Amino acid sequence: MAMLQLDEDLKKLTQSAQLSNALGHVDNIIDLLTNAREKIATANDPHTTSLTLTKLQNPTREGLEGVNEHLRNVHRAQTKYNKALTAAFEPKDKNLKGPLPTNHDPMADHPQLINRAIAMHLLREGQFGVASTFISEAEPGPEPGASQYQRQTRLPPSTLRSPTSPRSPTPTDATMDAEIPVELQSEALQTAFSDMYSILSSLKAHDLFPAIDWAHENAAELEARGSNLEFELCKLQFIWLFKGPQVNGLPDSSANGRSGALDYAQRNFSRFRHRHLREIQQLSCAMVYASNLGASPYRVIFDTTLAFDEVAASFTREFCSLLGLSAESPLYIAATAGTIALPQLMRFLNKVKGKNTEWTTEQELAFETPLPKSMIYHSIFVCPVSKEQTTDANPPMMLPCGHVLARESLQRMTKNGRFKCPYCPNEGSAKDSKEIIL
Amino acid sequence: MGDHEASKLDYENHLLLEQPFLRLPFELLRKNFHGARYEVERDGTWIKNTLKDTATSAVNGRSSQEDVLKSLDSMISRMRGVKRKLTSFADEEARLYRHEAARVSHLGELYGMHSVDDVKYEAWSRTRLNRLLVDYLLRSGFNDSARMLAQERGIEDLVDVETFEQMSRVRGSLLKGSVAEALAWCTAGDTKKELRKMDSNLEFMLRYQQYIELVRPYTPAKLTEAIKHAQRFLHPYRETHGREVQQACGLLAVPPDRAYKYPAYRELYSPKRWEILADIFTTTHNTLLSLPSIPLLHMALSSGLSALKTPACHSAHPASAAAPSHSTSLALAATVCPICSTELNELARNVPYAHHNQSHVEHDLLLLPTGRAYGKASLDAYAKKSGLQEGQVKDLRTGDVFEPHELKKVFIT
Repeated sequence: MAMLQLDEDLKKLTQSAQLSNALGHVDNIIDLLTNAREKIATANDPHTTSLTLTKLQNPTREGLEGVNEHLRNVHRAQTKYNKALTAAFEPKDKNLKGPLPTNHDPMADHPQLINRAIAMHLLREGQFGVASTFISEAEPGPEPGASQYQRQTRLPPSTLRSPTSPRSPTPTDATMDAEIPVELQSEALQTAFSDMYSILSSLKAHDLFPAIDWAHENAAELEARGSNLEFELCKLQFIWLFKGPQVNGLPDSSANGRSGALDYAQRNFSRFRHRHLREIQQLSCAMVYASNLGASPYRVIFDTTLAFDEVAASFTREFCSLLGLSAESPLYIAATAGTIALPQLMRFLNKVKGKNTEWTTEQELAFETPLPKSMIYHSIFVCPVSKEQTTDANPPMMLPCGHVLARESLQRMTKNGRFKCPYCPNEGSAKDSKEIIL
Repeated sequence: MGDHEASKLDYENHLLLEQPFLRLPFELLRKNFHGARYEVERDGTWIKNTLKDTATSAVNGRSSQEDVLKSLDSMISRMRGVKRKLTSFADEEARLYRHEAARVSHLGELYGMHSVDDVKYEAWSRTRLNRLLVDYLLRSGFNDSARMLAQERGIEDLVDVETFEQMSRVRGSLLKGSVAEALAWCTAGDTKKELRKMDSNLEFMLRYQQYIELVRPYTPAKLTEAIKHAQRFLHPYRETHGREVQQACGLLAVPPDRAYKYPAYRELYSPKRWEILADIFTTTHNTLLSLPSIPLLHMALSSGLSALKTPACHSAHPASAAAPSHSTSLALAATVCPICSTELNELARNVPYAHHNQSHVEHDLLLLPTGRAYGKASLDAYAKKSGLQEGQVKDLRTGDVFEPHELKKVFIT
């Protein structure tokens, strides 16, 4: 609860230590001096002058002393707060003591990659104004006065990749679109994201048509991804019409309510007949219960309280996926994961301090960095024999009995082409085991 | 799996990055206070002495009535000056108090959350990212973007635009070949004292550059001036910077057009020195204000990228690398992994992947003839979405459809 204590300490500081408190004394001195001047000027005789000046000495000195006293107060309070501040960040774990690890910075050599990540982050968050200012500031300009540090951190012309090409895993594609100027690329990205935001704002207003149009245009890619977004949207549109003007607030006409819904279904559902027959049947059956839906088995399907939010979330996810991007800002996730994992990194660095180890030279971290489940995106297979994670070079192999080991472990166990499973009594031959993709 | 453990917030450890965040306003407060005290002391002493002298000479009859009034007038205006200065120091103090309070309360909000899955945590963590971004932008000299981002997100009190703008002004003037602003910064208030305490060579380096610039034109008048400058500003450093001071003397014998013969002197005349000076200034400035030498965003990213990275993120295997539909995703609704996403993929090549002691795979894995294994739940859900017949499954990546008897159970130990 260090922060809450610090809050108290800060209140004490701000209330007691204010430079403005000394201003009263300053005003007093100004008054003393002005009055004395007036007196001397009016009397205009040497005796009064000497007397006034002599009498002025002590009060002025006291006034100045008063100012200093206030300053000393401020100083004392600041010293106290300084202690509180240090204490608030004093870690209980002695392995976390000491300054942040700044002597080895693996990010320092890649300002352009970081800038690209930031530009894309700003665009995906819809901060188009900031993004365009940032891109123009980070672009290499013809200013000879720019510092070396700043020149390093400027974007080269090819750092923002065209968002419409699905990303390929090979590093070579980063250079492929080198001829496309960065502005065009970020423009394309911006257009894409501003489309996304306009569709999302329609969804918020319960207008599903822009989203349905988008899903329809991209139906083939969506289906390949195993997404049924288009059907979900159409289904919601049907339900929304079905609810009628009292709920959806649309004009009360034949295009609304039950008849409107039926009409909509007839015009649109046929193209989903193959994939979603059962659900379409359910929706038609629900028509029978129209007058009493709340008590029918279909009430769950027709509950739209969360439906628009859910459909908006899956729309965002699919939209970003088709651009080859994750739905959440990777920069946000990485920074959050970074603060969660930082204590482990610091503990490790404190332990190996002085051994001249750079933690980034290894292929794998030497310590565990537990993250919440929501931040685990890939299957991770740790070989139960070698305790190593499987990789391209050492992939998981399934034995005939269904148990899985890393290939290197399996090779070590194999004698004359045969092995015994370490987890069950089965024996097998090396050629019967199979590389699998988890 | 210890998942609960991993999402629980460990407040103190979670704030490891934040010390500079609260330190900076406080260091500025201190600097502000020292500035105020310096002014008050100087002017206060002057007033005290002047008043005493005026009184003495008035009593002794050495000064005229006119002299007395004149001296009183100057004291009054001096005191008004004190008031003006003190008021502006007090305003700055109020601004810094506001910053510090906003920050303490922002960090304090964390204590109202228990886990990183808390909805409030997401908003908090986004604000933190915006802070880190503004800090990064300011350090890179992208001041307009920084100011705009801070404004749009309403976090002006949580970032230090003014401080960094002032810094980049001084830095910029150095890069343009002028030491004036940097020297003013060095000698303002009690910065000089603080710099001496931390053994900074900034002031010396600036004076040295001034000297080089006086020698450069190589005219008799300027050379004389250079010698005077050296006597006044470089000579005092002969103990601590002996070599440089000696070199300075040597420089007098080497005009710039002949310096190419002597690497050491060529370096002194090099325009590169301005960049070195700018970097020394930045480092000194950051140390003085307890600012970390690298952007905090770098720190958060390097540890975050590593913690998130898996061998699959840069796999050459076309199947297990990230295609638009993600191959090895745990989540049913396949979202792209942040490391596989375009933004960070290249950047993450430079860090190790995370270490795991335990496997994290879906439950009830089934192997398809394609060599890919999926959880039963995912396969069922996908089959349902695709409208397959009862029991049939479809490979989530390749789209091949298989009959139930073609599947094999996978045992993960």
